[in-house]
Amino acid sequence: MTTAPPRRAAPASAAAAPPRAARRARRRGRPVALFLAPFLLLFAALYLAPIGYTVYQSLYRMHRSGLGLSAPTQAFVGLANYATALGDADFRGSLLRVLLIGVVQVPLMLLLALGLALLLDARSTLFKRFFRLAFFLPYALPGVVGAIMWSYLVAPGLSPITAAAHHLGLHLDLTSNALLGPTIGNMLTWGWTGYNMLIIYSALQAIPAELSEAATMDGCSAFGIAWRIKVPMVRPALVLTTVFSIIGTAQLYNEPAILHNVAPNLSSTYTPIYAAYDAVDANNFNAAATESVILALLAFVLSFGFLKIVQRRGAAL
Amino acid sequence: MKTRPTTLAVAIAALTAAAVVTGCSSSGSTGADAAGAGSGTVKLDFWGWAPGYDQSVALFNKTHPGIQVSFDKTASGSKGGYTKMLTAAKAGNAPCLGQVGYETLPSFAAAGALEDVTKYAAAAKSQFAAWTWNQVTIGGQTYGIPVDTAPMALLYRKDLFAKYGITAPPATWDEYAADAAKVHAADPSVYLGDFGNDAYNYAGLAWQAGAGWFGTANEQWQVTIDSAANQKVAGYWQGLLDKKLLKTDPSYDPSLYSDMAGGKVLSDVNAVWDAPIIASSVKEGAGQWAVAPMPVWDSANPVYGNDGGSATAVLKGCAHAKEATEFATWMSTDADSVSNLIKVTGIYPAATAGLSNTALTAPDPFYGGQTIYDVFRAESAHINTGWQWGPTMTQTATDLGDGLGQAGTGGTTLPGALTGLQGKTVAGMKQQGLTVSGG
Repeated sequence: MTTAPPRRAAPASAAAAPPRAARRARRRGRPVALFLAPFLLLFAALYLAPIGYTVYQSLYRMHRSGLGLSAPTQAFVGLANYATALGDADFRGSLLRVLLIGVVQVPLMLLLALGLALLLDARSTLFKRFFRLAFFLPYALPGVVGAIMWSYLVAPGLSPITAAAHHLGLHLDLTSNALLGPTIGNMLTWGWTGYNMLIIYSALQAIPAELSEAATMDGCSAFGIAWRIKVPMVRPALVLTTVFSIIGTAQLYNEPAILHNVAPNLSSTYTPIYAAYDAVDANNFNAAATESVILALLAFVLSFGFLKIVQRRGAAL
Repeated sequence: MKTRPTTLAVAIAALTAAAVVTGCSSSGSTGADAAGAGSGTVKLDFWGWAPGYDQSVALFNKTHPGIQVSFDKTASGSKGGYTKMLTAAKAGNAPCLGQVGYETLPSFAAAGALEDVTKYAAAAKSQFAAWTWNQVTIGGQTYGIPVDTAPMALLYRKDLFAKYGITAPPATWDEYAADAAKVHAADPSVYLGDFGNDAYNYAGLAWQAGAGWFGTANEQWQVTIDSAANQKVAGYWQGLLDKKLLKTDPSYDPSLYSDMAGGKVLSDVNAVWDAPIIASSVKEGAGQWAVAPMPVWDSANPVYGNDGGSATAVLKGCAHAKEATEFATWMSTDADSVSNLIKVTGIYPAATAGLSNTALTAPDPFYGGQTIYDVFRAESAHINTGWQWGPTMTQTATDLGDGLGQAGTGGTTLPGALTGLQGKTVAGMKQQGLTVSGG
């Protein structure tokens, strides 16, 4: 998913080149292949083979007889594992849950990141360096540490937020079934806004200052400059951060896994990855492989689909 | 999991692919090192995580020059140790011996990861209580030697019980319910006990009531998680939850120990190994804690539950299964080894001779100088012997943990959770290719 696009094939004119040049090109090709071989070998062994093996595993199932005390054999079952996984209400629920969290959290987070980046970029902002670092800091913390910190901040009986709400006469349980999603969304937003902000901010830095100056001379307000000039120009950065966020949300694991310690009502199939890990623990590698492939496909379809949509709209403009 | 660049798919596949690769290269000489074979010394590998096992291994090596065991410490079973053993067994290069909990042993058997050592182990059978032997025997085949058991008891605050007018610890579950109501009525912020989310603790409660979950008959697994006996136990605890008479802190969570230290949770029904955990997690009230037998359903005929215990299992492909069984038997029965395991590992021995070990008669200052093992020893003779674990316990335990957590917060009821668990367990077993009746 994250690999670079394949190099463009040799120009078409090479085919029509005189035979001598073609021979030279072929001779030059040998050392190139020699240099590429280690990479290709590793790429095939460590990247393609595991993916292939996962897909292969997802098509098989353990076959046992009686109590299953003799060694099991593998039997080809076609897409039966996929039918089982998608027929499992818990797994479907986990996919929907992640989708829902993503649909709500990703736009909110990116809006926040864009807002912060624009503020940092504004000429009148003071202490730019300090704020840039401060916003980015949560990302520098390992995700697990952030998750642990937040789980203590929302834990029933320990949470200062709940205690403060209690003083205001509110009964607030941040780990109740209804609030688990928002709580996790909050943890994600806290951890990732700064990272996304930095990407957008770097894109803003690349906008020539003359554009803003010209706009100011034309009587455009600071807000107008941000909205009409800066935002359209950082569109590629916004697309990039959205794609990253979609992939990241599909892989949601840390936050719910840590939160589970203080919220036992958070089920062990809360997110698809969580469910796949459980399948591994239960020695059901075929189910884990199937769930992984489904999740990877979902992440691929969503991120690629998003890219296609914005590209098409970009072309139309 | 946003920091991980790869998807789980890749991780799993890499793991299994690596296992396949190594499996090809080392098939043939598995478990024992071929190097030792020439000199006449049998070398055995032993994977486990309990502290103190290495010292028993050292004792064995000193006295048995013909067999040399090397102990490798792995992550604890539920934290990845089991997955590692299963993967190694699948790849054909598992060690000869592995520390495997009774609850996970049938899962290992169903994964084809265990070696049948019935013929080597038969001689040792008489040294163990019948029910512990059942824990290492499935469908008539023995796969290892029991190490320890975990009878359950009531660990409680003597002084606070007295403060709330409880003169004697509850001997029956009826008394327990009455005391729970009494305590909570006296102070709504105080609870007699905690209803946690530990599936195996709950299993011990079902175990005590004779509410079995699994069985085997006619070459088929049987699942009876929502049987009438199970629904009775579930109904009892649901009744206490409905009346909000129990705290619902997660099991073994800091919040539970802070409630215990603050006198908000007065007791815990838990296994023998929980006694040192409470002693080290709850400093306040040291000397005021005590151990009483677990409340029973029928005081005329007391029966107790068990929560834990493990075996030294012989893993698939072991080239020296006879010597491996010999070591496993020695570790569980030799007096010096058992003393070491009691002192360092904190086990409660499965070997009947081990119960009279002098290491079990030391008074415990945290429990007011009580010789707490006397309670467990007395109970040990009345543990329900029929209990059997199933072949997909990891999944069942995870799903039950979910159900317990949901029940504690009112998201579901226990009887409802058990009905769901029955269906899920049967489906999970079928998916793994096992023959199941009862669903």
